[in-house]
Amino acid sequence: MQYSQKVLDHFMRPRNVGKMEDPDAQATEGSPACGDQVTVYLKIDEESKTIEDISFLSYGCASNIATASIITELAKGKTLDEAKKLSWRDAMEALDGLPPVKVHCSVLAADTLQTAISNYEIAHGLKEVPNFGKDTIVEELKKIIYPQVGEDIVSLKMVKYVGFDNGDVLIDMNMMSFDEWRENVAEEIREHLSKYPEVKNIQINFP
Amino acid sequence: MNPGKIYLDNCVTTPLAPEVLEAMRPYFSERFWYPSPFVSTGEATSSALSGWHEAIAKTLNATGPEIHFTSGGTMANNIAIKGLAWAHSSTGKHAIVSVVDYPDLLTNAAWLEKQGFEVTYLEPDSDGLVSADKLKAAIRPDTILFLSTIVNHVVGTIQPIEAYGRVLAEAGHRIFWHADAGQAYGKLPLDVRALGVDTLSISAHKIHGPQGIGALYVKSGIKLAQVIHGVNRLDPLQTGGLSLALIAGFVKAAELTFADLDATTNKLRELSDHLLQRLESTIPEIELNGPRGEGRACHNINVSIAYIEGEAITMMLDMQGITVATGSACASQGLKASYVLMAMGRNHVQSHGSMKFTLSRYNTKEEIDFAVERLAEITASLRQRSPLYRSTHPEEK
Repeated sequence: MQYSQKVLDHFMRPRNVGKMEDPDAQATEGSPACGDQVTVYLKIDEESKTIEDISFLSYGCASNIATASIITELAKGKTLDEAKKLSWRDAMEALDGLPPVKVHCSVLAADTLQTAISNYEIAHGLKEVPNFGKDTIVEELKKIIYPQVGEDIVSLKMVKYVGFDNGDVLIDMNMMSFDEWRENVAEEIREHLSKYPEVKNIQINFP
Repeated sequence: MNPGKIYLDNCVTTPLAPEVLEAMRPYFSERFWYPSPFVSTGEATSSALSGWHEAIAKTLNATGPEIHFTSGGTMANNIAIKGLAWAHSSTGKHAIVSVVDYPDLLTNAAWLEKQGFEVTYLEPDSDGLVSADKLKAAIRPDTILFLSTIVNHVVGTIQPIEAYGRVLAEAGHRIFWHADAGQAYGKLPLDVRALGVDTLSISAHKIHGPQGIGALYVKSGIKLAQVIHGVNRLDPLQTGGLSLALIAGFVKAAELTFADLDATTNKLRELSDHLLQRLESTIPEIELNGPRGEGRACHNINVSIAYIEGEAITMMLDMQGITVATGSACASQGLKASYVLMAMGRNHVQSHGSMKFTLSRYNTKEEIDFAVERLAEITASLRQRSPLYRSTHPEEK
């Protein structure tokens, strides 16, 4: 068994699972085609900007469900500013780790929490709708995990160049021609970027 | 019934029959000799081996000398495909395979392409069936090789092999035909003579024999280039040593399966009919992948369960002591959805939510009932957590 006891516990007995009636904010990320989808609901105290209640729904594998469960536990009771610092790394650590090939499943839940917070802040005039640009692309690439080692492709210096011009995304990758994960990583990049209406074309170059 | 040990993944490997273990025992200990002329020990083995060739040959309507023992189905596939391609490439370098074939055949086809072959990949219909008409249309003057998997390893579709045989016989030139019978052997009658197939691979551990032994049928007079070079101990095609004990076990497993093949397959058919009936009557929004009834091998049931993902289902079943397989990308080493289901036109959700049950004669209706009940509970629980389910079933809290 490659999963930790914590992962199995949160998978079999997920905390804060279920649809929330009248949430103050919510977000859905992922798609059935990618094999996983997570919805996060938030109840937020307007005065203290604290996450009073949180719940999730998940279509996905064991590590997807377990990460969604633990990230809701980590976020509950935190202020929005504190919760904004939560990433997939925190979730993974709290779960006593994940097998490398499964780390990518943990990204989605953390990501969905961040989108839900962002949706709340935009709706309450706490922040502007961010402009799409090169930085947005790089932030998305940081969410893409190289399955062999379970680390993101930006940290691993697999991304050589990112360009964005008038809807065209150009990414130069640094992955060997015999790397069996090239197709998988390219597909993930496309999935992550194609959700932005600003993106019209995605070109990914490998050496 | 022991709920801790319900094994429903018999297309991968099967439990060893107790009689097989007994049949192997002497060859692990006192009867270890390799064939050798003029010495009593070696001659005793030669004589046993010749009987074993005959025994396997009988199950395929072949002759003893046409049977070659190999260290498994994959070895048999490699010896046949590479052997045929190398021996006959002077007359043409075109091969035909289907996109839903067993990985052994597809990886060998990809390797042939690297050696300068052209390969045509046939597409299946929505039941995974590759029609003989498609084969006929793909044949070119330089086609020398056709590869096929008799029973599909994912959805159990039985390919129209008699029709393939007719198409190849009428092609106007010699096309060699290799068939993988890994999932077909012991599940339906196979008559190599009537089919006209040139080479055919089978494996012991799919029929309650030991792991690590298989056989290749090579039609008399067919030339194969040597793939494994070395000393000819037991077989000129798979040179080097092979385990006599495993061969003895393979033969015993075949004897048990083929003593009454109709009884074996009828029991499997009854079990899988029962399984499908229970699945469809117990779990809503479930769909069968592959053909229904006679066009499907008697041991395979593959269904897609809507709105939920297969790795999660598989793990929850595992915790209840039930072993099944899924076509979900999340459960695969390469993180890819089942290529067979995708080629049949299933979408990602159908593939991610697909569950494959493959039965053996040791399974019981009680085991199946227990597994379906647990699966129904797991499905209900995972659907309650699924945003796909909740968004399409708003009436349920």
